Amino acid sequence: MSGKSPLAIAAGRLRRDKVAMVCLSIVIIFALIAIFASQIASLFNVTTQPGNPSQQLDFINDGMPLKGPPRNGFDPEHPFGIAPKTAKDNLASWLYGARTSMLIATSATVVASLVGIVLGLVSGFVGGAVDKVISFVIDLFLTLPFLLMALVIAPILNERFALTPDRYQTMQVVSLIGILAAFGWMGVARLVRGEVLSLREREFILSARVIGMPTTRIMVKELLPNLVAPIVVAISLMLPAFIAAEAGLAFLGVGITQGESWGQTILLASAYFELYPLYLWEPLLGIVVLVLALNLLGDAIRDAVDPKTRR
Amino acid sequence: MKRTKSLAVVAGFAMVTLAACGGDGGGGNAGGNSPSEFINPESDFGKVADAEGPAPEVEGATTGGTITVAIPGDPGPEDLDPANGWSVLGNSIQQALTHRSLVQFRRDQETGAMELVPDLATDLGRPNEDFTEWTFTIKDVNWENGNPITAEEVKYGVERTFDSETFTSGPGQVYSVSNFDCGEGYTGPQDGDCPGITVDGQDITFAMQGPFPDMDFWSTFMAIGPIPLENSEFPAYGRMPLSSGPYKIKEFRVNESLTLEKNPEWDAASDPARHQYADEWVFKFDQDQEKTDQLLLSDSADAQTTVSNGLGATNVAALRDALGDNFIQQTGQCVSYRTPDYTKIDDINIRKAIAWAYDFENITLAGGNIPGVTRIPASTIMPPGMSGRKEYFPDTEQFVYDPEKSKALLAEAGAEGYKLTFVYDDSDAEAKAAAEQEKKGYENAGFTVEMIPYQEDAYALWDDAESPINAKLNLRSVNWCSDWPSASTMIPPLVESGQPYNTSYFSETEVDDRIKEIATLPLEDQAAAWGDLDELIGTKYFPMIPTAYRNDLFGAGSKIGGFTGDAAMSAIYYKDLFVIQ
Repeated sequence: MSGKSPLAIAAGRLRRDKVAMVCLSIVIIFALIAIFASQIASLFNVTTQPGNPSQQLDFINDGMPLKGPPRNGFDPEHPFGIAPKTAKDNLASWLYGARTSMLIATSATVVASLVGIVLGLVSGFVGGAVDKVISFVIDLFLTLPFLLMALVIAPILNERFALTPDRYQTMQVVSLIGILAAFGWMGVARLVRGEVLSLREREFILSARVIGMPTTRIMVKELLPNLVAPIVVAISLMLPAFIAAEAGLAFLGVGITQGESWGQTILLASAYFELYPLYLWEPLLGIVVLVLALNLLGDAIRDAVDPKTRR
Repeated sequence: MKRTKSLAVVAGFAMVTLAACGGDGGGGNAGGNSPSEFINPESDFGKVADAEGPAPEVEGATTGGTITVAIPGDPGPEDLDPANGWSVLGNSIQQALTHRSLVQFRRDQETGAMELVPDLATDLGRPNEDFTEWTFTIKDVNWENGNPITAEEVKYGVERTFDSETFTSGPGQVYSVSNFDCGEGYTGPQDGDCPGITVDGQDITFAMQGPFPDMDFWSTFMAIGPIPLENSEFPAYGRMPLSSGPYKIKEFRVNESLTLEKNPEWDAASDPARHQYADEWVFKFDQDQEKTDQLLLSDSADAQTTVSNGLGATNVAALRDALGDNFIQQTGQCVSYRTPDYTKIDDINIRKAIAWAYDFENITLAGGNIPGVTRIPASTIMPPGMSGRKEYFPDTEQFVYDPEKSKALLAEAGAEGYKLTFVYDDSDAEAKAAAEQEKKGYENAGFTVEMIPYQEDAYALWDDAESPINAKLNLRSVNWCSDWPSASTMIPPLVESGQPYNTSYFSETEVDDRIKEIATLPLEDQAAAWGDLDELIGTKYFPMIPTAYRNDLFGAGSKIGGFTGDAAMSAIYYKDLFVIQ
């Protein structure tokens, strides 16, 4: 027992938690899907190129695909079926949608936690005027309505990059990460600041100061390791929130419009909830399973690192 | 009635060449076996100069109730000023319910044909021999506030539309300015009186610059209607204009809703076409298509008194079964065009190559329309049913998607890999899907394509010579509906030099001169002359690619009676609607 760090103990507890392990494997599977989306797509020989609706859809009647779901059985050429109207392959849309989702949520989480940790550390440790200013900024961002800002920024971007359509797609992703991060870091910052406030008067910090350790070193080497547990918990709960937010924005038409996105597919598919339910279920299940797994995993991590809250 | 607004961007990308035999993949063909045939709109509109009020009763009509009109995907008019009224949707509502002009259309209940009948005037106007002077007599009727409508107010209403600063895109800028003899550079009441419009008691006389035989048709527009002399400044007046029709405006919320209530000052005896059956009307703009369709399918209490200004392609089969007689496929004189920039794409072979590379069926489907039902492959500038129309093909036969032919034409022009640049609305999933299909079609036919995402009003962009985005484009589009069934409302606005909706920037002296010349021909020769000009433009210059003739689908709940379409406006015929009690 003697040689184990608190994190190693927590990891041991986590490993014994069956729910956590199942969720972790689901998350890993989704991560692999996202990373290898293009390889998987070419394995199944599907692309996100628009299909040939006049030949693949029964447009004289209800516009449903002539082959595959929902009218007919499994179509090996299009395992998830094809979309009505566009005849686009659903599997390809789903795979690349997973990539978009994971890419944006992960990047936004990384950015938001970095900003939150740095500002929280500085604010809590330095105190005084710096603390006041940073706290004010945190409060300010908490008052800004996230959805409203996202709605405002989307048309501005469109206008700004209209002449360079090739950069537009990248900028949409970057700006979405920016918006999500800009409205997601405050929680971490407050959490870290609170922890630092309680830690900085403790003996090990005081002694570090007395022996003349530089401030940055105290922060990074003395404070940060004591903050790992709350930070890990905060991050693990931020990730699913961002995935849901990304899909929500795409559904509203202000998120990703270039390229694939689960939210956008849900928007399109909502018109077919009766005629072609599978089309709607695919992206919906993707989001529900991923967000649920991430949430349960986050809960399990919190229980593992903080035994007092164990059920 | 002018361009169709929401279609500009949403559907603007979804049309072009034919396709009746495009599908060899097992699907049905879009031709004769489609569920609904394309029916020619009435080409000859009757004229009943002595029609008198009150309007013939609609069979089984009952009074009372509220009619809700759901308008999916169209934000509606920005204002209600009569001088700005030039959208199909806005005009169909205002002309039928709130705003009277000198002349109006009435639907013959027996035949379903549209006919011209008097409105504020006592007849359809009295022209002199060569149609250079028209006289109307105004009836004794009142505004909603009880003040009498005078000939002076009609004169003021017409003069007001000359103001090119205020009503830049109003129909008066096209028809009044180019026909009424108000003197060079006249820009409305601030320049004083227009000498060409004279008032004598309740008589008003319009002097023309040249023969204008279509004045009776033009007089159906609100721009040839009265405006009060006081308190009628734009834009305030446009938010709450005084009503002269059977209903007055209770509340108008831009892009949201328009609520109308009964106007007690309206005199049924003076009006040969309108009724006042319902107590109230609620128009809801920019509704969700799917929500509207599902509402109608539900047949709930709300749905029974709801009218839909457009049915979605997804649910057409179910709606047709559910609504029965209240499902209408309305043909109108509306055409969609793709307009290559004539100043940049100066080789006719490249323009023809674009036409052969336009993947009509796939673009139409991806855009949420149904080939052969709501979009019919087109070939001529003038739509079917327009008098004088000549059936011809700009390039020997009907355009179908044929990438090989397109490649051959490009090779002939020495322009392999020619780059096409156009805008699309990436915030609208259907518009985007249609644009992607179009891009795919062009690329397979040997073009390179650059698509610029643009979420604002595309017509405003195309009209903006300063815009760097517009400067980059070489492929635009336009959707146009005739203002009345004469090619004079179709060809000049689309191909004459400098016209705002001439989005190909086409300019040829031969065509401009011929347009001026046709107006001077004897009346009976004009229709055929327009047909010949259409063929000349299409075969010699081919500045625009007609991509589709457009049909609309309207629906109404089970408690709506008198539900019919208006072939003159390509809209719902609101004048006969009632709630079955």
